[in-house]
Amino acid sequence: MRLLVVEDNEELAKLLAKGLQAAGYDTDVFGTVAEARTALLMVDYAAMILDLGLPDGDGLAVLRELRHRKDPVPVLVLTARGGLQDRISGLRSGADDYLVKPFAFEELLARLEAQLRRPGQILGNSLRVANLEFDSRSRQATINDEPQVLSARETAVLELLMHSKGRVVSKKQVEDHIFGLSGDVASNAVEVYVHRLRKQLSEKGARVQIHTIRGVGYLIAEEKS
Amino acid sequence: MIRFKSIISRIVILHVIALVITSIVMSFALSWLLSSATDNIHNEAMEEQAASVAHHLVLKADGSAALELPPELQGLYSHPYGRYTYAVLDEHGRALISSLADGSAVFPLDPKSTDVEFLRTQRGNAVISGASIRKRLGERTFWVQAGEDLANRDVLIDDIVADFFKNVGWITLPILFALLAIDIAIFRRALRPLREASEIARHIGPMRTDVRLPLEELPSEVRPLVFAVNQALDRLDEGFRVQREFTADAAHELRTPLSILRTRVDTLDDQSIANALKQDIESMSRMMGQLLDIAELDVFMVDPDDKADLSEVCTDVAQMIAPLALEQDKDVVLLGAHKPVWVKGNAEMLSRAIRNLAENAIKHTPRGTVVEFTVEENGIVKVSDRGPGILREERELIFRRFWRRDRTRPGSTGLGLSIVQRIMELHHATITVENQPTGGAQFSLYFARLETG
Repeated sequence: MRLLVVEDNEELAKLLAKGLQAAGYDTDVFGTVAEARTALLMVDYAAMILDLGLPDGDGLAVLRELRHRKDPVPVLVLTARGGLQDRISGLRSGADDYLVKPFAFEELLARLEAQLRRPGQILGNSLRVANLEFDSRSRQATINDEPQVLSARETAVLELLMHSKGRVVSKKQVEDHIFGLSGDVASNAVEVYVHRLRKQLSEKGARVQIHTIRGVGYLIAEEKS
Repeated sequence: MIRFKSIISRIVILHVIALVITSIVMSFALSWLLSSATDNIHNEAMEEQAASVAHHLVLKADGSAALELPPELQGLYSHPYGRYTYAVLDEHGRALISSLADGSAVFPLDPKSTDVEFLRTQRGNAVISGASIRKRLGERTFWVQAGEDLANRDVLIDDIVADFFKNVGWITLPILFALLAIDIAIFRRALRPLREASEIARHIGPMRTDVRLPLEELPSEVRPLVFAVNQALDRLDEGFRVQREFTADAAHELRTPLSILRTRVDTLDDQSIANALKQDIESMSRMMGQLLDIAELDVFMVDPDDKADLSEVCTDVAQMIAPLALEQDKDVVLLGAHKPVWVKGNAEMLSRAIRNLAENAIKHTPRGTVVEFTVEENGIVKVSDRGPGILREERELIFRRFWRRDRTRPGSTGLGLSIVQRIMELHHATITVENQPTGGAQFSLYFARLETG
């Protein structure tokens, strides 16, 4: 899987390439807007990591051209510009995600993976937290590679949580995901399904924990030892 | 030397002095002019009298002179009246004819005298002033003198001179006061733009360096000063701008090297050292981010039309920081955010303020405890922790930039709460802090509630 890294600081570019290679990605590294344009036309990349302040122009220009010709390649913007206006203009120009320097490399990898696992993107459909795995295409949950039987609603909740691992999913999001627009939902319905799912997973030996953030939502994480 | 604090009092005092001096000098000058004018009239009258006496001087056949005065003139010079005197002298200064009892000359004769001479002499207690004219009759020359006793001078003219001060002097006083009143009025009017400029200048501060004083209405005398002040403000503004930009630029320029450091550490093989280094880099990055926030806040203006939903902002912040809290075995609870609470303000900035408070609370709350967010319908957000609380004497200090209770404590920048306070100031909102009865600190943010979204 080939990634395009556009970063003019050679030192940082080299380190990114090294880290990404270690994580199993092939990378092409360029330092200018012109080179990035050429590379994008010649190679079909799985994703692009784009620095904004480049010596021969603004990285956002490349991004806009890309979106203008309806190229859906996921773009993760990497920038020293962290101001509110910068972030807004970055996302408006078509960035899929926005990381402000300095960033943790694991975070870059996680965000990249999240982009690549989006429907239609290149990475596999398997989502994993500790020994719990969820195939987003077959919607099958496995613990220690053993397939589990879950109700449709429990599966829906798990699916959402796994897709947003490490992040809090709001109660509203869970409601929308399970019930769609079907209208009347008992106010404690989500709590009930989360409770059942939690019980099921712990009985089957999954080393995961579904945290309830009161008034906010839910988060799935590896169980602390 | 008296130093005057105000221009008006200086002008008034100087004007009073000038008016007093002028009125004194003017009075003396006028009375001198008046008395010299009366002297001239007197001299002319005396010359005329001498001439009229001389007109009646005749030369007899024996060569001696005789005076044939008509009765009305004789009456004028009669002894009982005693006011006027005359005498006729020959070329040697001997008195030939005299109205005086002893038949002497009115004035002693000066041989070098010209045709007409005005003279003055003392006779007993009386001062005699008058004229002497030369008269030729045939071969002989005579001097005809006429004099007036000044003690009996014309009363009318003396009255005018004597009453001058009494009659004219009093008019100067109201004129003086009227002039002063007009002075004060003119100056107040002229200085009004200056007072307005002072009012504008009161608003200039480190956060408002764009204000300049208006020059249009100012009197031209003070315009150079105000112009120079404006130029000084320009330079000051530039100085502040450079300083602000330096903070932003410096923080910005540090981002890339820090990223390199961070990535290098992240890709290290020995993760035991890496974890410690990561924490150092984390706190350094945090401080840099906060410095950038501060630099951004220094130039940030809240759009008066901006509005934010406190429920949404708090939900967003709670969602963002919950993983951080869980990582440290701490919990987050959000209360009251069930329906929108609209307030005036910039959502991003409010989110930063609440996030800084939340991070602060998570840092201070012990493991296994909860950080509580409360959104109240009247536009109040409360963030409370179960930490040690805040000492009464430190409640003001904690909002100062770089203030920390314990400087040795890692990971604390002393910037978070100063950012919160700055954001609140920008929103004309207030922040208070108190300790809860159950322990721990509670920060309350009070916003201007909007009725509808």
